[in-house]
Amino acid sequence: MAARWFSIVAVLSLLVPQTWALEPLRTFKTASGQAFQGRLVSYEGQTFYIQGKDSKFYPVPFKQLSAEDQKYLIQVAQLGKVPKGDPRSIAKETPSPTPSVEETPKDSGSPNEGVVLRPAPKPKPKLRPGSFFAYKPINLGQDPSLASAAKEVSAIPGPDEPIDFTNHVLPILEDRCFSCHNAPYEKNGRTTHPKAGLRLDTYEWVMKGNLDNTVVEAGNLEDSYLYEVITMDEEDDMFMPPKGGALSPEQIDVIKRWILEGAKPSAGGAGIASDMSNGISFHDHIFPLIEERCLDCHSEPYVKNGRTIHPKAGLRLDTYESIIKGNLDGTIIEKGNAEESTLFAVITLDSDDPEIMPPKGAPLTEDEINMFKQWITEGAKENPSDTFVQPKEVEAEVVTDAANSNLSLIDTLAKRLKAPSRPQMEAAQKSGALVTLLSARHSMVRAEFSSGPNLIKDDAIGALSGIKNNVSHLDLSRTSVTDGVLGEVKKFNNLTWLNLKDTSVTDRGIQNISKMPYLTYLNLVSSKISDKSVETLASIKTLQEVYLWNSDVTENGIKRLRSALPDAKILF
Amino acid sequence: MKSDITKLDELNRREFITSAAKACLGVGLLPMAGSYIHNNVNALEPGARPATARYVIYLNMSGAMSHLDTFGTNPDAPEIQGPTKSIATSADGVFLSENLPETAKHMHNSAIIKTMVTSQGAHEQASYLMHTSYLKRGTIAHPTFGSWVSKLSGNINTTIPSNVQIGANPAGAGFLESKYGPLPIGNPSAGLANSKIADYLDETRFGGRLAMAQKMNASYLSQYDQKQVRAYSDLYKDAIKLMRSEDLKAFDITQEPEQMHELYGKSNFGQGCLLARRLVENQVRYVEISRGGWDTHDNNFEAVANNCADIDKALSALLLDLEMRGLLKETMVVLTSEFGRTPKINPRDGRDHWPYGFTAFLAGGGVKGGTVYGKMDKVGRNPAEGKFIDPASLNATIAHAMGLPLNDVQYSPSGRPFTVAHDGTPLMDVLA
Repeated sequence: MAARWFSIVAVLSLLVPQTWALEPLRTFKTASGQAFQGRLVSYEGQTFYIQGKDSKFYPVPFKQLSAEDQKYLIQVAQLGKVPKGDPRSIAKETPSPTPSVEETPKDSGSPNEGVVLRPAPKPKPKLRPGSFFAYKPINLGQDPSLASAAKEVSAIPGPDEPIDFTNHVLPILEDRCFSCHNAPYEKNGRTTHPKAGLRLDTYEWVMKGNLDNTVVEAGNLEDSYLYEVITMDEEDDMFMPPKGGALSPEQIDVIKRWILEGAKPSAGGAGIASDMSNGISFHDHIFPLIEERCLDCHSEPYVKNGRTIHPKAGLRLDTYESIIKGNLDGTIIEKGNAEESTLFAVITLDSDDPEIMPPKGAPLTEDEINMFKQWITEGAKENPSDTFVQPKEVEAEVVTDAANSNLSLIDTLAKRLKAPSRPQMEAAQKSGALVTLLSARHSMVRAEFSSGPNLIKDDAIGALSGIKNNVSHLDLSRTSVTDGVLGEVKKFNNLTWLNLKDTSVTDRGIQNISKMPYLTYLNLVSSKISDKSVETLASIKTLQEVYLWNSDVTENGIKRLRSALPDAKILF
Repeated sequence: MKSDITKLDELNRREFITSAAKACLGVGLLPMAGSYIHNNVNALEPGARPATARYVIYLNMSGAMSHLDTFGTNPDAPEIQGPTKSIATSADGVFLSENLPETAKHMHNSAIIKTMVTSQGAHEQASYLMHTSYLKRGTIAHPTFGSWVSKLSGNINTTIPSNVQIGANPAGAGFLESKYGPLPIGNPSAGLANSKIADYLDETRFGGRLAMAQKMNASYLSQYDQKQVRAYSDLYKDAIKLMRSEDLKAFDITQEPEQMHELYGKSNFGQGCLLARRLVENQVRYVEISRGGWDTHDNNFEAVANNCADIDKALSALLLDLEMRGLLKETMVVLTSEFGRTPKINPRDGRDHWPYGFTAFLAGGGVKGGTVYGKMDKVGRNPAEGKFIDPASLNATIAHAMGLPLNDVQYSPSGRPFTVAHDGTPLMDVLA
């Protein structure tokens, strides 16, 4: 019933111009019995904005209030005593009844302010001057003046200051994470290992993650588990830190910015986010900006206080696909033509234009606008073709990584890549192969083709081209593929496992894969390979297992292959 | 009536029909997905780490193999060991019984868990626990491990089922969709029974009959357009698809050269292993072969030696064949039984039921070769080294190697949660 009243009231209030008077201060009660004092300032839909005694605004859903308050609200709204709309935006447009009001700081991490009135963060207890605890501990041999200087740097960084791991991120981890995620130590004769096998005490360990996976993906908040656990609901089992309450919004912001800036060991290093010379990357450049400025209103629908909140204008910007798709009005991006793109048009409007996006906060800077322009002009692609990694670079990195850790080759390769999106996986399934992620939260993919006779031909592999860098295992055994397929296979840069058993592949086709950088397993059982391929195979130095049984390779060929690849297991 | 244990390895006609009917009730005699395109990608949740094994061949020593005379010899305790001697293997410091000389050559690819334990001392209940990780209850039928594998790992080859049971009466998919249940094969040499088009039917007449059947069904189908009703017509479609498929050749071991048959041995078990290898080549995820004759309450040592001659030949052939084809790297071969046999030798020269400290043999994909986990004490009752490993943990170990999600919950019709390996934890010591 009340809802119907509101729709009528809402229409009325649009038609009738109003002059606003201050509502009296009164005590509101929630349905659960919580009471608070405040003044009704405005309303929007079913949400009422109540100004608390601390002169902050609290959005309160109608249904959460007691019956008595509901009656009062209906009355006020009916009589049109208060304006419509979010007071924080009204404050800008019309003179506010309470000019001294401060805006509630908006917490970018969680879009819902919630009904529960948050108390102001408690100031840290001030220590009596001269208290023992007031002294900062200084290590032996350290200059006390330097020690305090170092502390000052580690203060919360300024909004434009690049985040430095040692000075900004590490102190947070030290304060809140080290008690569980530190180097193993001895206590009462027992070794205490870090929880979940995760150490956060140095940059290298933070980047390495644990056996499950990495916890930080440079430039990618969504895939950074560390960020996920500190921002998830506090009720969640995985919420971190489990004791002592959540990190402060400033601390979360530091970690967020550090990841977005490329999770670099030190500020100013050449990170992903700042490097645009190779073309604009959607994930590294565009999306972080969209996430910061647009997703408050244009994210996927979510449930807040029992109601589903849909994205404004029916427009979602939370994935590449949804950005390209636009909304019911049409697409917002014309690939290659920035001037025709609605997205570009609305961010370049005059700053006082009511249509400008984002509507809140400062307009985008010139650099950011240029970045959008360049991205759209370059074709608004998700992955610019020239950003995938040059094999030479990878080689160097793989070697150092392998030396420093027990990570397997595949995990090392996977760290460099983004996991395929669901549409990409679905497109890959069209090849007729079973395409699965190697494991949860892994970015590498296994593709197994059905061995049914005459089902799989050379062209089937085309459907995998969208994720070709992600494929680490490829099983083509017993299919009808021929030499032609290997021309495509050689483009699968990160392939480690190739099964061509029982196919009609010949020496001519095998030449294609001589330059594959990470191939470790190669199965050529019952194929048409002969001694002519020995040189090709011998040139793949990464091979650890080669199966040549029932092929045309002779004992002599095997002997040559074994001497070229002394550490590989070669069966024939 | 024959009990589960004393029955022969091969199914008789009635048993075959019963189990086939069980497997097909509701969904399909020949359980398979409907299309060549894998549309189940969203349903497939990968496990915590990349799979190191993609296929499993599970050799079930039904009737309880005497572990002391096969994979779990204890040369330090002659009073329980009896006359069986230990021999060295291809892995340093690992010993097997003298009954398994050929298998000993593959020990560098294999691991043994010597401290298996189960809570059940009767064949049927213990076998149920081994296969499902859950205790047998009157109120629910749990899915077998193979059905879980089939459900969770996805079918690559869409024309043939991904779970096959050779010999012995198979348990089914439980509360999972019956298409994940095992396809029963009674006699490996005969291949897939009743799958050929009858000789007197040519294609036109067969087509005519199908068309007639469809015509007669049409009005019923339009009136009752329900899942169960559609499942029956799907059953026909799937069966015909398989009947015409060249993949049927996977079941036909007569296509193998004579040397292969000899390599594996001409016994039912040997031929079953040969069929299992063919099926794995055709991407069947889970093949179980049952071999009975292990319930050696009397005359244990002679019976075990005879049985071992058979399994030693077949198992070593299987491991060799898989390795030559490069399949051993991704195929895990498991050999175990529902429990072990008493360390104490009874007056009839036999060994009785013993749920403590029996063995599981693992080889191939995902297995850390040449390892032995645990050691039993001199009386064979408690672990001297390592911990007891229960059936759920053995299944968890296999599932972990296959990259299955151990925490993926499937609900029974009454809404109770179940997972692939119940409360088992993977034994990482034997995994690579």
